Amino acid sequence: MDLQINEKTLPVNDAATMDGTMPLLWVLRDVLNMTGTKFGCGVAACGACTVRVDGQAVRSCVTPVSAVVGKQVQTIEGLGAAKLHAVQQAWIEEQVPQCGYCQSGMLMAAASLLEANPAPTDAQIDEAMSNICRCGTYQRVRAGIHRAAKALAAGEAVKPLQGAPA
Amino acid sequence: MKRRTMILSGLAGVGALLVGWGVMPARSRLGKGELLLPQTGEVALNGWIKIAQDGSVLMAMPRSEMGQGVHTALPMLVAEELDVPLSQVRIVQSGMDAIYGNVAMFVASLPFHPNQDGSTLVNTGEWMTGKLARELGVIVTGGSSSVADAWGSVRIAAATARAQLAQAASAKLGVSVEQLVFDGGKISGGGKSINFAALAADAAAVSVSDVKLKDAKAFKLVGKAAPRADVPAKVNGTAQFGMDVRLPGMVYAAVKLCPMLGGSPGAFNADAALKIKGVERVVQLPAAGGGTAGLAVIGATTWHARQGAAAIDVQWQQRPLGALNSEQIEKELVQIATQGGGFAFHSRSDADAAEQGASRKVEALYSAPYLAHATMEPMNCTAQLKDGKLTLWVPTQVPQMARDAAAKVAGIGKDDVTVNVTLLGGGFGRRLEVDFVEQAVHVAKHTAGRPVQLVYSREEDMTHDVYRPAHAALLRASVDTNGRIASLRIQSAGDAITPRWFERALPLLAGPVDAPDKTTAEGLFDLPYDFGHQHMSHSATKMGVPVGYWRSVGHSHNAFFSESFVDELAHATQTDPLAFRRQHLTSEHAKRHLAVLNLAAEKAGWGKKLPEGHAHGIAMHESFNSVVAQVVQVSMLNGVPRVHKVVCAVDCGQVVNPGIVAQQMEGSVVYALSAALWGKIDIVGGEVQQKNYPQYRMLKLSETPVVETHLVPSTAKPTGIGEPAVPPLAPALANALFALTGKRARSLPLITA
Repeated sequence: MDLQINEKTLPVNDAATMDGTMPLLWVLRDVLNMTGTKFGCGVAACGACTVRVDGQAVRSCVTPVSAVVGKQVQTIEGLGAAKLHAVQQAWIEEQVPQCGYCQSGMLMAAASLLEANPAPTDAQIDEAMSNICRCGTYQRVRAGIHRAAKALAAGEAVKPLQGAPA
Repeated sequence: MKRRTMILSGLAGVGALLVGWGVMPARSRLGKGELLLPQTGEVALNGWIKIAQDGSVLMAMPRSEMGQGVHTALPMLVAEELDVPLSQVRIVQSGMDAIYGNVAMFVASLPFHPNQDGSTLVNTGEWMTGKLARELGVIVTGGSSSVADAWGSVRIAAATARAQLAQAASAKLGVSVEQLVFDGGKISGGGKSINFAALAADAAAVSVSDVKLKDAKAFKLVGKAAPRADVPAKVNGTAQFGMDVRLPGMVYAAVKLCPMLGGSPGAFNADAALKIKGVERVVQLPAAGGGTAGLAVIGATTWHARQGAAAIDVQWQQRPLGALNSEQIEKELVQIATQGGGFAFHSRSDADAAEQGASRKVEALYSAPYLAHATMEPMNCTAQLKDGKLTLWVPTQVPQMARDAAAKVAGIGKDDVTVNVTLLGGGFGRRLEVDFVEQAVHVAKHTAGRPVQLVYSREEDMTHDVYRPAHAALLRASVDTNGRIASLRIQSAGDAITPRWFERALPLLAGPVDAPDKTTAEGLFDLPYDFGHQHMSHSATKMGVPVGYWRSVGHSHNAFFSESFVDELAHATQTDPLAFRRQHLTSEHAKRHLAVLNLAAEKAGWGKKLPEGHAHGIAMHESFNSVVAQVVQVSMLNGVPRVHKVVCAVDCGQVVNPGIVAQQMEGSVVYALSAALWGKIDIVGGEVQQKNYPQYRMLKLSETPVVETHLVPSTAKPTGIGEPAVPPLAPALANALFALTGKRARSLPLITA
């Protein structure tokens, strides 16, 4: 099968994905060696594996790879490929990460939130950000999202994702 | 046996292992340059510092980065002494020489009471332990000790390198050392300047005797919030954790350990598993590192291996001593704590007599459950055994113990093992263990030289942890006829941790008899309050549940017991909880505690009016030589506590990076709040019941309070920061809930429904 990942077409051997039943997470990590997307729980509870599929934040540990064929997948490797995304820049400025393991998923969820809602309130951030961070970086995640929202409003261009809903 | 005799005889026993250690000179931790294995173009100045061809400074890094910021804080010390920008210092993983061992952690493990500070016994004990730790040189990241240890090793090494460079520059430039100016990797004098790279070879040949550490007043970096060096790679997905290691020809392994702790696999049928295309083999795993036995399945990807593991039909066998049950253990602990006895860690004056003469007594029974670490990155280790050499890629807090354990399993010499320490996706004490390392090596024996990455599922990780031991404590105070607290007695019971860890990870130090374990009694026997009569004892049990160090260790539950009870005493004597603490922090030693307490109270607006339905609670606790006070603001929302704000004040000595200190305050509050609200591991029939995050709840962003950090300025040497903000949170919250509801919570977690 062919996968569209970070605006590239990547052929993947069907047999290597157990005929498409393998979760996208493990295809990314163990078949394509794109290890930026993390494994945390395997049951869509922690969000460490969050990627975007057609712009929507999706938990890749419970998404069979067959379900994303023909769709645009974006991983952390593609988020700031050309230039750091506003959330990545804000994460650096707010010094968000500690161990950093959950942050790929956190950033993908935050990028997805800001695309849907360019100026989220605290309550909307609460609602959208359900990822688990064991180091407890949440306060800075919140500050990072607000900072990125301001940067975007001030004219930081976000590159629209190919195939994303208008 | 008396406490003192016990401690010193214990130390002597360990010391006797070292031939002639008593007459050996104190080991210098500076080390020789060859320890740094300089590559072409690099020049090592000592065992910690080398200069690269481009003039940048490379430092040996023996500590693991698990989020606590050590890969930023330690290079800051080097940059400061050499007057280079932080970006000019790069880290290289250190070797295993004893100079890289963690001396501060071992010295801090001595069970001395703070009132003994400066006594001959303490000085002798610390001297002996320090010497011993330097000899043993155990490389470990733990005990909130990295900066404290580096303050006396890394900084001296960097200052020595500076003196070496200065002497070489002086000769080259024809200017006296005093006239030289260091700036950005260049040394100037007499109108000329020369960079580190051009001086390095000469500097390496110089021996210096007059090394001065930079005066604190001249610090340019230390004390300022430098951005963390590891952040850029952690926002673009390139940071490499253990699970991210990818090697040519690598296969993957999933573990399937006996669900019953301490149990093992009996007969099993792997036919269905091996029929899955991409599943290649099933390997039996013995009870590694004191853990539970089981199986591992090798597959083409982690997912193949996991599918294989799921397809194996196993008849599991209970451990020979019978099934473990946490409810029964917790009942037993209550009985033992109520009876008292055990080892008296602290005794002051005569608590028995005070109780007999008291007009009334206040007594309460407290308890805390088993807890799992649940690091975000599950346990994993990559191993390759090829041509008699073993290479590991592992997120570990104990690379040297990992090496030793792996060598034993592989049946090769330690020198034939190479350990690559990756970034750690959380540690919290779980990665002080070597069980998963041993398992990876067992599997690597069956992969014909190919590297194998062994990965725990979340379920295996949560059900095969080394748990924070459950504890119970009886606390009793007597009140004299003037209404003042006359005595405080604490009797606690629970498993000792250090002897079990030694058995698993450091067998050299495991004795036939368990020595008293400070880590289980810390935070109870060393309270700063001035109650005239005190008696604190701990009964060390051995319940059979694998137990380990969990962020802040004994303090994690003991502070809940002691600071909740102190709050009870305030109410029992009709005193404001802040005022009560102030009244009893009267010793010279407690001045520091008082300052921290006052700062937290002031910043939180203690005593000021709060919104309707909100209340404040306060707690203050010393751990890892730092003092943290917290004021928690809580309300009830739909019948459960909602924490709105936590104001933290901290004295951790000289602050190296206040940004990282704030991060650790924020992170510790969240970590401790998850545990206080929901944290509980239940073991039924030997099986851990909480198997994944939905059953072992973690605080989420929407539930996270605003956390404020306030520092008490200090020029004392640095003390711990990774753990000390965990202990006060649970009691501060419980005390706030009491203020709000009038109901006293004496067991954790607070939400049990």
